[in-house]
Amino acid sequence: MNDLCAEIGYRSINHHGEELCGDHVEIVSGDENSNVIVLADGLGSGVKANILSTLTSKIISTMLSAGMTIENCVETIAATLPVCSVRGVAYSTFTIINLVNNEEAEIIQYDNPSVIVLRNYENYDYPKTELNIGGKKIYKSVIKLQEDDIFVAMSDGCPHAGIGISYNFGWKHEEIVDFMQSVAMGGYNAKNMATMLTDECYRLYGGEPGDDATACVVHIRKRCPINILFGPPSNRNDGDKMMSLFFSKAGKHIICGGTTSGIAAKYLGKEIEPTLDFPDPEIPPIAKLEGADLVTEGVITVNKVLEYAKDFVSENTKYSHWEYARDGASLISRMLFEEATDINFYVGQAVNPAHQNPNLPINFNIKMNLVKELTECLSKIGKRIKVSYF
Amino acid sequence: MKITVCIGSSCHLKGSRQVVEQLQYLISENNLKDKVDLGGTFCMGDCQNGVCVKIDDKAYSVDPDTTNEFFKTEVLAKIS
Repeated sequence: MNDLCAEIGYRSINHHGEELCGDHVEIVSGDENSNVIVLADGLGSGVKANILSTLTSKIISTMLSAGMTIENCVETIAATLPVCSVRGVAYSTFTIINLVNNEEAEIIQYDNPSVIVLRNYENYDYPKTELNIGGKKIYKSVIKLQEDDIFVAMSDGCPHAGIGISYNFGWKHEEIVDFMQSVAMGGYNAKNMATMLTDECYRLYGGEPGDDATACVVHIRKRCPINILFGPPSNRNDGDKMMSLFFSKAGKHIICGGTTSGIAAKYLGKEIEPTLDFPDPEIPPIAKLEGADLVTEGVITVNKVLEYAKDFVSENTKYSHWEYARDGASLISRMLFEEATDINFYVGQAVNPAHQNPNLPINFNIKMNLVKELTECLSKIGKRIKVSYF
Repeated sequence: MKITVCIGSSCHLKGSRQVVEQLQYLISENNLKDKVDLGGTFCMGDCQNGVCVKIDDKAYSVDPDTTNEFFKTEVLAKIS
């Protein structure tokens, strides 16, 4: 056991004019510390490619995580995939990254662009062994994991980006490595790194991608817990208990809510100093409190965080805002989406009498739903979530 | 003189940002920056009457439309 964990993020852009993507990424988590990630690129584009790649990635990830051998998987795929009527072959290329106990990565590659491994932000040229399974040349590598190792798996839509438009021969492997090196230095979340790579492909294609392009980034990082306090406890007398549990936890502490931060300030014996800056006119200002890393208003701010979280798990178009903005919601988003690997929610279930005014768009159910939806989104992006109610 | 404006959830929705910005503007317009201390606070517990504003320890209810008048009668009149 070690204190490493894997942050996994991927994103695809579709062949121009296609509704479906012919690439597919499938992640199966065996237990907390083992993940099988499969990126498959189906032959052609559109529906057919989508079916081929979905089948391939599902079959491989399910079989591998159940402990079957790679030979078995490849044979099963060859026997299962529907044969393309135009080309007479059943074909989907794939890349497998199999993380075992967060100690070792097994990389298996068949015909996709070579996986980029960055170690200490430098390109790491890892050894590969050639296997021949059913006439297919498959490369296998085993790498011992270190903190801050970054793996980048791609479909061939990435190196083909810009052929005939920005470049004569597409985006060269070395240039993608350079690009990812500079992105990695920025300390972004895996999903945002994958997004930046595919956004760049989209740009190189001149906004009309000639192929589906997918990037999947795995970032091996140290665990980083973050604690977030939201709402006063339903029983007034539980305030101190809630605060002592919250503040005794390792990691950063975020406090959301005016009344809540008042209770925290009393517990800490410090003064809250609200600011009067509105970097985002929609979001109430943040406050300063010694002993807490961030203090914000409650429902309005958290509602915005949920909006960013929903976007983050799907299209990821709003990251360029919350990645740099200074308002409370963006600050929370950065801490939860990027910094944290484990998030502990301390949710108070008190009904705020001030919020029961029918003229206000806030009520108790909304608050509890916010927590539910936000924790669901955060789980989807691979965070380990614990929620305690008071 | 210390003016405190509530920036809690309810008052935010009722326009405390506009009140804050209007007061900031009025204070600098009247060159009162060294006489008036403008600050924020989280919920004062009187959300029904928001936007809650306090001058020293006296509570007022202000909204973006009445900010100018509030400033004239409660701030300007008392400071000079």
